[in-house]
Amino acid sequence: MSSWPWLQSGRIGDPQTPSLGSLAVSDFLRSYLTVAIFGAVALLLAGGILSLGRLIRPSHGNAEKLLTYESGVDPTGDMWSQSNIRYYVFALLFVMFDVEAVFLFPWATRLEAYGVFGLVEMGIFILILLLGLVYAWRKGMLRWV
Amino acid sequence: MVLNQFLLLAAALFCIGVYGVLARRNGVMVLMSVELILNAVNINLVAFAAFTNSIAGEVFALFVIAIAAAEVGVGLAIVLLIYRNRKSIDLTEVDLLKG
Amino acid sequence: MIAQVLAQAFESPTIDYHALAPEIVLVSFAALLILLDVVLLEKGRTFISALAGIGLLATMLPILTLAIDGTDRVMFGGAYVVDDFSLVMKAMFVLSGYVVVLLSTNYIAEGDYWENEYYGLLLASLTGMVMISSARDLISIFVALELLSIPVYMMATWRKRDIRSNEAGLKYYLMGVFASAVMLYGMSMLYGTAGSTLLVDIGEAVGGEETTSIVTLAVIFTIIGFAFKVSAVPFHYWAPDTYEGAPTPVTAYLSVASKAAGFVALLQLVMVGFYARDDVYEPVLWILAAASMTVGNLLALRQENVVRMMAYSGVAQAGFMLAPLAVAGKIGDDAVVATVTYLLIYAAMNLGAFAVIIALARKTGSATLDSFNGAFHYAPGLTVVMTMFLFSLAGIPPFGGWFAKFAVLAALIDANTAAGVVLAVVAAVNSVIALYYYGGLARRMWAEEAPDGDLTPVRVPVSLVAALGLAAGLTLLFGVFPNLVSEVSDVSLISTLGG
Repeated sequence: MSSWPWLQSGRIGDPQTPSLGSLAVSDFLRSYLTVAIFGAVALLLAGGILSLGRLIRPSHGNAEKLLTYESGVDPTGDMWSQSNIRYYVFALLFVMFDVEAVFLFPWATRLEAYGVFGLVEMGIFILILLLGLVYAWRKGMLRWV
Repeated sequence: MVLNQFLLLAAALFCIGVYGVLARRNGVMVLMSVELILNAVNINLVAFAAFTNSIAGEVFALFVIAIAAAEVGVGLAIVLLIYRNRKSIDLTEVDLLKG
Repeated sequence: MIAQVLAQAFESPTIDYHALAPEIVLVSFAALLILLDVVLLEKGRTFISALAGIGLLATMLPILTLAIDGTDRVMFGGAYVVDDFSLVMKAMFVLSGYVVVLLSTNYIAEGDYWENEYYGLLLASLTGMVMISSARDLISIFVALELLSIPVYMMATWRKRDIRSNEAGLKYYLMGVFASAVMLYGMSMLYGTAGSTLLVDIGEAVGGEETTSIVTLAVIFTIIGFAFKVSAVPFHYWAPDTYEGAPTPVTAYLSVASKAAGFVALLQLVMVGFYARDDVYEPVLWILAAASMTVGNLLALRQENVVRMMAYSGVAQAGFMLAPLAVAGKIGDDAVVATVTYLLIYAAMNLGAFAVIIALARKTGSATLDSFNGAFHYAPGLTVVMTMFLFSLAGIPPFGGWFAKFAVLAALIDANTAAGVVLAVVAAVNSVIALYYYGGLARRMWAEEAPDGDLTPVRVPVSLVAALGLAAGLTLLFGVFPNLVSEVSDVSLISTLGG
């Protein structure tokens, strides 16, 4: 493993700058210990209170009481409900444009530095994306039939 | 922070993903398993980028995310088509063409 | 770290528009096709395939001017290189794309399929191929690979209501996505080792004194990803099913262009990125090559369907193309030359064979071996060219295929190692096995009686004739004047990068 010296040192980042990026292994594990203790306390507290309530409270179950609460209306149908297939196209379009926006953010943070060059490049990118949207629109994908 | 942890997490995710692709019989679940592998890749890339102080890994991860979305879009469309034509997305039933 | 990056002043990269012209033309035409589709809807159907063809021919122009100019152009800090290798491959991709457009023209138009999108997707996929020939960086290789694959997933599923086409698309999609995910995992480790995504930097970082386990893992994962793409055994099992179910022009495209794109990326990765680690990649590629040749040929023997037979023969041919890479560490750029030679000749003869299959299926409507019986009696012209393509695929002179096989065998023997010689013997034995099924198909076409004595001639549309003429002409030309190919395929990957 000689080509990977940092595997032995176990550190990421520049050791000179004191930051989260330079915690040693033991520090790293110790900070996780806090998380573990916190989690254990939370579990104990919630579990303790719930089981205490269970011990004290009376229990007279009947079918009416065991029904799922659905805004006071009697629940109908299965727990699994199929959503309409038409949502799929919208969801897909949303995901596409949402993810492509990932490329807009780095560009937007440095808008001025990139100047005209960046503007033109991003313009071409958005134009091609728009072409996709126009396509979906013309083919009637955006209409709710 | 320690690099090993990230690599181990990524390796674990990768193995779960590969297992899912090979063992799952539901088309959508296989797609999700592939996503797990891609996320393992992203963790690797970002961890290495943080370690080597080069931004290329993070850029790579962005591209992986964007392209994975496009891939899944096409994949879901194909699974949907199969569902429409045969009312099931069980991959064991997709066996008209025997190899 | 981000603060550091932000602190640097931004210099807009100098862009060599001449070098990027093929990509720009292709993307413009792909966008134009979609735009026309959006504006005209069904009215555009009459000329859209012609326009796609024009777009591809227009792309050839800048490729030719770049070839005449002849200087190597390096852009984006080495991530994008236009050199002899990339120009030869770009020309091959664009030409085979043109042949696929010719094959598709009637097939898609008569099948009541969505037509405008088909050509838009085809051009988008070709853009990815043109890009991948220049990509010398992990990110650009990945983006180009996905750009060329994703449209093909849709094209394989093009017959929407046909369950077999759905199945073909699904299998290809799942395999493709899984393969690219595995490949990406390998690439992420390569990046971790080198701290850079440039292949040249990876080449330096990987080529240390000793082989580390992480590098071994990364190299193997990356190669496996591409082994899926080029359908090498044991990662081939999607190929026959996908080839059979997909529309036949798409099958032709898959078996030629898509496979070639996998090889182009593999060549670049192996020769530039992994070159010094021949102790890792040579055994892997040796096994892939030997297994592909043997298993592909043996399974091709017992196929009843021509398209499936061509699929397995394609697996075997992929083995031949992989073979020179299995000794790349000994012979350097000669391995690139041998593989590129094989790719060019294979493209011509395989597209030709598929053109005949499409033409005959217009009459018989089937692709079983029996449906080819007695083709000579009603389609003598098609039978003659098909025989030529089959003999070429089997490697019989004077058709192109013999020179392809000769180049590979010569490269293997030049390596002067036991592994190389054994692989050459495996390749030679396999050429003989292949002769059996290629010859068997030819015998059916000449000697058997036509089923039901049906001797009505096949009506072959003009575009198919043009495709056949192009493929047949090139196959014959390559076989009779092999100098032509060796002149073109005399490319190198190592020297251009000073590695």
